[in-house]
Amino acid sequence: MSVTKRKQQSKGANNLSGATRVVTYICLAWALIVALFPITWLILSSLKENPMARPGFQLPEAIYLEGYISTFLDLHVMRYFGNSLLIAGISVIISVVTISMSAYVVARMEFKGKKLVSILLYSTMFIPATALTYPVYNLINRLHLYNTRGALILIYSCSGIAVSFFVIKNYYSNIPKDLEEAARVDGCGYVQTFIKVIFPIARPGIATAAVLAFFSNWNEYYWASLVLIDRKKMTVPALLSTFTTAFATNYNGLFSAMVIIILPPIILYCCFSKFFIEALSGGAVKG
Amino acid sequence: MADVQAYKKKNRLGRKKTGFILLFLAPTMIAFCIFYLYPIITVFATSFCKWDYTNMLNPEFFGFDKLWENYKYIFCKYPYFWEALRNSIIWAALGVVIQMPISLLIALAFSRKVKGVKIIRNIYMIPCMISSAAIAMIFLQLYNPSYGIINPIIRLFNPEFSDNILLLKGPAFIALTCEYIFITGTTTLMILGNIMVIPEEVREAAMLDGASGLKQDWYIILPMIKEILRTVSILAATSGFLIYNEVYFLTKGAAGTYSISYIIRELAITSPRTQFGRANAVATIQILMGMVIILVINILYSISLKKKIYTGKDGNVQ
Repeated sequence: MSVTKRKQQSKGANNLSGATRVVTYICLAWALIVALFPITWLILSSLKENPMARPGFQLPEAIYLEGYISTFLDLHVMRYFGNSLLIAGISVIISVVTISMSAYVVARMEFKGKKLVSILLYSTMFIPATALTYPVYNLINRLHLYNTRGALILIYSCSGIAVSFFVIKNYYSNIPKDLEEAARVDGCGYVQTFIKVIFPIARPGIATAAVLAFFSNWNEYYWASLVLIDRKKMTVPALLSTFTTAFATNYNGLFSAMVIIILPPIILYCCFSKFFIEALSGGAVKG
Repeated sequence: MADVQAYKKKNRLGRKKTGFILLFLAPTMIAFCIFYLYPIITVFATSFCKWDYTNMLNPEFFGFDKLWENYKYIFCKYPYFWEALRNSIIWAALGVVIQMPISLLIALAFSRKVKGVKIIRNIYMIPCMISSAAIAMIFLQLYNPSYGIINPIIRLFNPEFSDNILLLKGPAFIALTCEYIFITGTTTLMILGNIMVIPEEVREAAMLDGASGLKQDWYIILPMIKEILRTVSILAATSGFLIYNEVYFLTKGAAGTYSISYIIRELAITSPRTQFGRANAVATIQILMGMVIILVINILYSISLKKKIYTGKDGNVQ
């Protein structure tokens, strides 16, 4: 799909008929409710001293922050954020660098088996990670990586190939070919052309893929809960499953800890929302 | 791939190029082999082996006369397989029947110029940024009978109600479905992106023909974004088919909510008597069923695409 820029939307609402208007507003209201209902409830509950006594959307009698303070002091959340950041960060760098190399070759060069490579990489989108549970688990054990952060880095670097591959490949195909030819004429080799010319130009596309991959790795639960047992090494989502027992009846603590866990991605999103929306809509929607 | 390309190099430049291609392709292909190819082959091969906690290290091939032993066990003896398969297929179907239309409706709403639409669009994405494990945890609290919010709502209609809906057969399935199915931010944006690239002239022409608002959406916009609707349907169906986190956090398979992913993990890792061979038999079925689902959706869409060409108005874009 081409990334044409156009001034659309200029008309529209002014001449919407009654029925369309009503349907639109219902959809928008629904979108708001779906997005905000659970989170609002969670935040409200986390501010109540005893969420049991005032359930639902009743406002707290007084704002009670004890849960937040104790989460930071006793639960060492910063450690889990550190783990997540480390694991997601390293694996994103590895996968994005390797995929941006391969995507370049597939986007720009002619060779035998090119189609096969595309199909193989595309097919990974539809291979369920859960189906591969045991072989991967076994591999991790045999590499003596069980219960190490390295295991997760390995898994995240190898998984999610398809999305990054296609995001980056699409970006390459929008770069004019003349640039490479000019570089070639100037005496650059293939590797040099890639590093000095293509990579810098494709940075926005590669960054998009990186951000998407980072979020999905940050939020990944299945593998994280499978290969890590040591609490000290856990990532944020894996920590969640220990909550119900850790906070037996301390609901204020439970809710506060959950708010703290979901907050960083939300804040990150608020800062980069423009970027995200453009990435997911293929550049057609301006954030 | 190395030998396939070998004959291609005629001169030094060609050789250099081949080297470059191999060098740049290698890391991704290695990752692919480690994480996808090798496991898939193992899964498939060992689904025909006796392999459990008694012979952890060396799987034993059943032999051709008892080739289907693991599958027989899964189909006839394992108590949760059919329930899990049925549930997963229902979730896949709901992805196409409920999730995709919701994504589409909201994308259409976002495509109109109404006040505040940008803010709502940005807010709508928030749940997609949170880990699905965290969402499941939040809903676990919402569904809690003593301090959650669902029971008080049910009590408005049925004052006697005091059960945990996650433990009731039927309601548990619905509750689990409602937890994830309305979170459609990513797919909504994908559709929205495709709606936005439709040229303004097309809308204007439609307007002159008297098609505006919903009518325009139905007759003009919809046929033009069929391709992305197919992709979104496939994404929704496969993710519904593969549900794991939701089951793990909300019900742990109680009250008839097992999913295929959940039983694979239970057979392979969590249960004290791990049964790798049987887990891999289920995994093989999961991979095959996933392909069948994708195929079915593709067939459905190509049938409806053909119909649209007959009525005209299609294929102007993309």
